[in-house]
Amino acid sequence: MTQQRIVDPVVGEEVVRAVTGTGLRVRVLPRPQLREVAAVITFGYGSTDLAFASDDGAVVTTPAGTAHYLEHKLFEDEELAVFQRFAARGASVNAQTGFTRTTYHFHASGEWQQNLQDLLRLCARPHITPQNVQKERGIIAQEVRMYEDSPAHGAAFLLLGALYAEHPVRHTVGGTVASIDAITAPLLLQCWHAFYRTGNAALAVAGPVDVDAVLELAEGCALPAGAAPARATPADFAGVHRERAERTMAVARPKVLLGLKERREAVGYRARAERAAATGVVLDRLFAPSSDLREALHRRGAVDDSLGASYTGERTFGVAMVGCDADDAVAAAAALRELLFADVAFDDEQLERLRRRQFGHLVRIGESARALAHGHALEELDGARPFEGLEVLRALTVADVVRRRDELLRADNLCIATTHRRA
Amino acid sequence: MTRSFAGFEVEEVHGTPLLWRRDQRCKTFRISLLLQRPMGAGQAARALLPLLLQHGSEQHQGRPALARARERLFGAGGGTGCGRHGESTVLSFAADAVAGEFLPQRPDQFTAVRDLLQELLLRPRFRDARAGAELFARERSQALAAARAVWDDKAHYARQRAVAAACAGEPYGVPDHGGEAAIAALLPHQPAAMLDDALHDGRRLLLMSGVLPDDPAAAIAPLLAALPRGSAASNGAAPVPPMAPAARPVGRTVEYAPMQQAKLVLVFRMPRPVAPGALHALQIALSLWGGGAHSRLFQEVRERRSLCYYAAAGGDADKGLCMVQVGCDAEQVEAVTAATLEQLAAVAGGDCSDAELATAVATCQGPFRSLDDSPAGRLAYTAEQWLRGFDETPAQRVAGLGAVARDAVTAAAASIALDHEYRLLPAPTAAAEAQR
Repeated sequence: MTQQRIVDPVVGEEVVRAVTGTGLRVRVLPRPQLREVAAVITFGYGSTDLAFASDDGAVVTTPAGTAHYLEHKLFEDEELAVFQRFAARGASVNAQTGFTRTTYHFHASGEWQQNLQDLLRLCARPHITPQNVQKERGIIAQEVRMYEDSPAHGAAFLLLGALYAEHPVRHTVGGTVASIDAITAPLLLQCWHAFYRTGNAALAVAGPVDVDAVLELAEGCALPAGAAPARATPADFAGVHRERAERTMAVARPKVLLGLKERREAVGYRARAERAAATGVVLDRLFAPSSDLREALHRRGAVDDSLGASYTGERTFGVAMVGCDADDAVAAAAALRELLFADVAFDDEQLERLRRRQFGHLVRIGESARALAHGHALEELDGARPFEGLEVLRALTVADVVRRRDELLRADNLCIATTHRRA
Repeated sequence: MTRSFAGFEVEEVHGTPLLWRRDQRCKTFRISLLLQRPMGAGQAARALLPLLLQHGSEQHQGRPALARARERLFGAGGGTGCGRHGESTVLSFAADAVAGEFLPQRPDQFTAVRDLLQELLLRPRFRDARAGAELFARERSQALAAARAVWDDKAHYARQRAVAAACAGEPYGVPDHGGEAAIAALLPHQPAAMLDDALHDGRRLLLMSGVLPDDPAAAIAPLLAALPRGSAASNGAAPVPPMAPAARPVGRTVEYAPMQQAKLVLVFRMPRPVAPGALHALQIALSLWGGGAHSRLFQEVRERRSLCYYAAAGGDADKGLCMVQVGCDAEQVEAVTAATLEQLAAVAGGDCSDAELATAVATCQGPFRSLDDSPAGRLAYTAEQWLRGFDETPAQRVAGLGAVARDAVTAAAASIALDHEYRLLPAPTAAAEAQR
């Protein structure tokens, strides 16, 4: 096992970075002052990984919702429901599936070694049978229906479907009731064998732990070695699929969501982090509570406090979203569009405020074992050095922000999705 | 001589109880002023205060100016809340920030944050004669829109409707936002009047935790000295106990919405615990019955019968009420209701293994074991203890939970009785919209 000790440049605390003999990347954040231990293991397998090359080179295609279904099924083994094993120790365990990752985690104030062992075991030893896959179908169908009843969830995927003609980010993470119907036990096992490998995972453990004990347990993780298979994700960097998308739903007020599509691939952590940092400054300048421009929209009644902006950027897709509820969706969309393309100035004062805010945020994270473990696991999986994100923010200039604005905030990247109130 | 409460030091500063706890393991500090008033008339006006107070003060005019001031303080947080405790409303005015010693040039963050909180509380911009009218109109409109938007989250809507139906005629039945009609009828002077009412006559408490100055009482004294003096009779007076109806037949409400998944809310009544031991037993009974993935409810209706994705029981001990919420297919509502009641009866009848009981205890203890890691969580816990009148540290809570006897758990479960069954069922669009 290789090891490296790094000191946190913000509060001076230690991060140990290691790689096990089988290739699992590990970060340990020993924090004796905390009482809670949190552990996170994350895999580079998400809802957008629908097609991949099998060992014999053939392309395997899977239904929407497969990664999420697999996440559900790993919470079951031969002896006992996994939730109960953790609960008996007073620990809380859960998992989430996103577009590009599946993440499993626990937090507890005692018996962390047993909890960590069980967390690694649940990922590494799947107990998937036709019977228990069938049993889970009804549960997942209810989860899918719950999201289908959510106007905000629906609005986001209405937009993504209009931005992307080919890329699987257009599909909901959980899939549909129809798509999960086609998921079988052999398929889930095939996906587990393909993606649940040490080279496609990262583990982070934070709290009052002994570094050597963590590394010993990580070394014993039974995940197979190797990297993830080659994905067969379609390149979808052309212009937007459709400029507008509309639907009706039983909502209290119409919802408008504007999306700006990334037009180029971002290879490597640094490229994605720089892109995200600069985009964050642009969106902050326009739409954060500190923005006079946002306040002006409020004062003229074009938007209200439901206004929000966000950015998601991965290697093969990326989108900035801005949206709100509005009685007059057309007017709200026009006002947001106008602001997106306005000739807005950026300055060092804004950058300095944001750096201060981010610095404070990083200090706060140091108080939480959960926040530390999540942040470091995701960063490690993404190939970043510890605290590389802080370096990116420090190096960011006004010129970078302006370039980013000019690249992303273009009319040919824009789609407007509207959810109308059902008459 | 100082005394302690729930692990916090207690002092009285300018007539206000100050509870503070220094924790040098932290890197941040938090200040929170609570003002408690009986729930009832004025809820809509009180609920508007957090929105109005976002607009800054005489010194930081407008939301952007306030947000920028907080960013310069290395992302200082804070805000106003309008919550409930039993059948009282609790206005909270909070501020938190990274302590100066962890920041470049070691700025005096505590004084800056305290002064910002004082400025917002005592010289809010919404009281300004010119700006106030515009801000009131804007925020009343937003509050109305937000109240209507509850409809978009059908689980939230079902919960709100269930409580309104079960607690009709009780102050608790009024939604947190005060109700659409009350918001629409609000007059411009009412929010300021409610703030004055809370400042003058509210039961006050100031809490601080984390990295604190050497003399916490002296450091916070300027803020407390500036507050209007409350009447001696109101400050510190325990609130009126919440209403609890006499035993009655189970009520039933069925409503419809255009959606796919039915929402079932079962409202139960239970005795309000008046001593820590009763609270511990109730907490374990709720955990065993429906308090998480280990619970009887979850295991039966989700894991064994695949009827739903979520099914959970949650209680408001200070009102003496708990709810089970489930999302499932409409045709399974009867089965889920029956299974929920069967599992409650099983727990009340003592039909649970020692391992199940031990798991429920461990699950209840878990969050309290690490509560000290979170300044905000520890402060909220202590505030709740004060409002409840219990004096337990988290460690004492852990020990108390561990000491509960099986009989006390089954007795607590046996005291939980179904009061109202609320169903929100999928329906054709026209009927649901007409109902709305």
